[in-house]
Amino acid sequence: MRRFLVLLLVLQACGVGPARARDQPLELIVSDPYIEMHSGPGRGYPVVYVVGRDESVVVLYSRTDWYRVRAPRGEEGWVRRSDLARTKLASGEPAPIPPYPDFATHRWEFGAGYGVYNRSNLVTSWIDFALTNSLDVEGVLQESFGTLDNRTIATIGLRHTFVPEWKWFSPTAGIGTGYQRLIEVVPPAPLEKSNEMMYASLGARGFINQKFMWRFDWRPYIVFNKLNKNEELEEWKFGLAVFF
Amino acid sequence: MEIRPGSILLVSLLLSGCSWFHRGDKGPPPVVAESSQDEPPIVQPQVTRREVKTPHIKAKDFELGAYYGALSIEDFGTNPLYGASVAYHVTEDVFLQGNVARSKAGKSSLEEVFPQITVVGESGRQFTYYDADVGYNFLPGEVFLGKGRAYNTALYATVGMGAVKFAETDHFALNFGVGTRILVTDWLSMHLDVRDHIFESDLFGVTKNTHNVEAALGLSVFF
Repeated sequence: MRRFLVLLLVLQACGVGPARARDQPLELIVSDPYIEMHSGPGRGYPVVYVVGRDESVVVLYSRTDWYRVRAPRGEEGWVRRSDLARTKLASGEPAPIPPYPDFATHRWEFGAGYGVYNRSNLVTSWIDFALTNSLDVEGVLQESFGTLDNRTIATIGLRHTFVPEWKWFSPTAGIGTGYQRLIEVVPPAPLEKSNEMMYASLGARGFINQKFMWRFDWRPYIVFNKLNKNEELEEWKFGLAVFF
Repeated sequence: MEIRPGSILLVSLLLSGCSWFHRGDKGPPPVVAESSQDEPPIVQPQVTRREVKTPHIKAKDFELGAYYGALSIEDFGTNPLYGASVAYHVTEDVFLQGNVARSKAGKSSLEEVFPQITVVGESGRQFTYYDADVGYNFLPGEVFLGKGRAYNTALYATVGMGAVKFAETDHFALNFGVGTRILVTDWLSMHLDVRDHIFESDLFGVTKNTHNVEAALGLSVFF
């Protein structure tokens, strides 16, 4: 219990928690005949209050596609994003509801998924930073679970998206370098505890909705070892990602 | 190809002709503004531009929490478990979640009956897992406390994978879970989760899928 209290205190100190009073509120004027305020941020929650045309609402914060607003008499509730987007600022300009991150030009991407690396199960996670619309820097951290050894793999590379404006499916290709660490599961111990690697990749990505995407990747690796012949491995993986 | 002196002459003539055409293009003559130099304008604009800064709407889609409960490690008894979780709510239905937790295995029945046998050494009794899950709020709703209070809730299912470190080996693990979330306030929520972590183990000589069920109570904040 004490851990929870400490965590709460720390979070409060970091500014997590109830909305602060010092934040300047965003006030919007209803221009539809009325907008509905729901008791929760979901389509099924009942409508608990209605704000009429030319009345104002104060926007407090958002959660997924819902906005917590305060009516003039102090009632609070959740308004659907599409309803709030039709309100106006006091100056008459449209409400500054931030647009969805554009699928073709988003900057950051975070994802995780499942794969097979060297014929063993693989848990993977990645961070992508877009340098241009079609060129990304991709950092991957993953762990494979084999019968003889477990491997922790970290790679960094560049990836090109061939037609970034194709929303549902766009092929990708990339190259990069990486590092793997081996931990034995069954003796004998691996000859080398760690290796440097190089890879090429072919894949595809597509957008499921405004915040969500999938990615598939196939990679041949060349593992540099001290033997006469470099080890060649293969990997494929599939995952889901969010982008900002 | 042979280059004849005639064609060189022709090309040089053409080039010089082009430059000749451009000789007069020295740009437009400078416009001399006469009125603004001496006389002040009749109407002096007195507008001070106001910087309109639209307030930023804070998105509270992330959830950070801690949980405490019991983990039943197959063949090794039920033991306390504590962990931390982070979630990102993508839509009102779907969320992504990551968990890290730790427990410590007790003695297996074999070790209880035959105390001289050690299946797992003392350092290998730590049971640590991490996982990445997708969750779906399949029964959102409200619960009522008395007459005047309603709290938003959701019953959700999660599926994911990750790794379990037990007996000093990392195992690939799948997990399936069901949980309920009650929002005490809009930023503070209580969770009750039941999750099964499944991984392959051959500690007792036979390779089998072990089911390790956890039940945990958690508290988390939205930010």
